[in-house]
Amino acid sequence: MEGMSYARTPRVKIRELKDDYAKFELRDTDASIANALRRVMIAEVPTIAIDLVEIEVNSSVLNDEFIAHRLGLIPLTSERAMAMRFSRDCDACDGDGQCEFCSVEFHLRAKCISDQTLDVTSKDLYSPDHTVVPVDFSDPSGEESSEQRGIIIVKLRRGQELRLRAIARKGIGKDHAKWSPAATVTFMYEPDIHINEDLMETLTLEEKRTWVESSPTRVFDIDANTHQVLVVDPEAYTYDDEVIKKAEAMGKPGLVEISAKQDSFIFTVESTGAIKASQLVLNAIEILKQKLDAVRLSEDTVEADDQFGELGAHMRGG
Amino acid sequence: MNAPDRYERFVVPEGTKKVSYERDTKIINAASFTIEREDHTVGNILRMQLHRDPNVLFAGYKLPHPLQYKIIIRIHTASQSSPMQAYNQAINDLDKELDNLKSAFEAELAKHSSGY
Ligand SMILES: [Zn+2]
Repeated sequence: MEGMSYARTPRVKIRELKDDYAKFELRDTDASIANALRRVMIAEVPTIAIDLVEIEVNSSVLNDEFIAHRLGLIPLTSERAMAMRFSRDCDACDGDGQCEFCSVEFHLRAKCISDQTLDVTSKDLYSPDHTVVPVDFSDPSGEESSEQRGIIIVKLRRGQELRLRAIARKGIGKDHAKWSPAATVTFMYEPDIHINEDLMETLTLEEKRTWVESSPTRVFDIDANTHQVLVVDPEAYTYDDEVIKKAEAMGKPGLVEISAKQDSFIFTVESTGAIKASQLVLNAIEILKQKLDAVRLSEDTVEADDQFGELGAHMRGG
Repeated sequence: MNAPDRYERFVVPEGTKKVSYERDTKIINAASFTIEREDHTVGNILRMQLHRDPNVLFAGYKLPHPLQYKIIIRIHTASQSSPMQAYNQAINDLDKELDNLKSAFEAELAKHSSGY
C-alpha cells in the first residue's frame, strides 16, 4: 500500500489573460476541485481593506458610519496580503496601531473652499506605504475619464470638511465581502455536442433553420453552401435543452445529443484589482493547500488511536 | 443583537482540536472525523478523493447545521486499509494534485507573459 497514489495531474490552458481578467480551461480533474478553487477565490484569498476609521471632522452630508462603510469597500492593492499577518494573530501589536506586520495607516483631509462641489475620492487617501494604495482604475492609454479621479467617497459643498484616520488590515471574504479579491469567478462544464447527421439530412432547409433558431444562444449555424448544420460555438450552449425539446416537437428525437464533460471546465475569473487575476488563481491553490495541511491528523490523535487499536485487538483476540 | 461574531466562522476556539477522530463502535474499519471551522470547500474535495481509493467502501461528509461551523466526514474501508490511512492518503493525494495544478498553471502563465 505504501507509495500508492491516486493523485491526478490536471491540465491548464489559458485562453485570455489581462491584469484583472483571466479565462482558462481546466481539464483532468473533477467538479469538487473546480468548485473548491472557485469558493476559495471568492471567500478565502486574503486582501487588505480599511477596517477601522477614526473620524476627526465630518461636516459632510453623509454620516460617519456611512463614510466608514464606503472606505471599507475601496479595493486596495494587496500583493503583500499573503505574506502579512492577520491582526488577531499578530503578537507584535495590540491590533489597532501602526504595525508593519498587520496594518497600514491612511489619512484623508479634504475641505471645500470654493463654490464648486468638491469630490472626495479614493485618490485623497494617503499612506506612507506605497505598496498598499487604492486601486488605480485609470486607462493606461491616458484617456481622460471619470475613473481617472478614483472612486468617489463623498461630495462636499463650500465650508464642508472631512478629516479622518483609517487602518487597513488583512482579511478574507468569509469575514466580510469587502476583503474578497473576486468580482466574479465562474466555471462551466465543457459541452459535448453530437449532431445525428443522418437524421439531420431528413430535414428540409426551412426545418433546419427553425431548429437552429430555437436555440436562445447561437450554438449552431447552417453552412451557406452545403446547407449542413454545424456547431459553431459549443460554449454558447447554456444547457437550456431548447434544441432537444424542439427536435422532439418536430418528431425528430435524438437529432442532437448534448452532454457535459465531467472532467473539463472553463473558468472565468474577474478580479477587483486588489491582486492580478492570475495571482488570484495561484493564491487560491496555495490557500487550499494550507487548508488541507491544517486538517491533517495531529500526532496525539494518531497515538491515542494506536493504543485504542491495540487494546481493541487484544480484547477481540481474547 | 445576539448574532455570532463573524470570525466564529473560521477561527478555531482555543482549547478545541481542529480535527477529532471517533471510531465506530459497531463496525470495524469505520470512523468519523470532525473538522472544526471547515465547510463544503474541504469536505467535498476530501469526499471525492476518498471515492477514488478502491479500499474505501463508503465516504461521505455533512455540514450538520449552517450555524455550527464544522463538518463531519465518515469513512468505511476494507480490512486491508483503515479510515485513518484512507484519510491521510486522500489529503496527501489532493496536496500532490494541487502541486501539479500549480505547476501547470505557472507553465501556462510563463507562455502568456512572454507574449507581452
Ligand atoms: Zn500587528
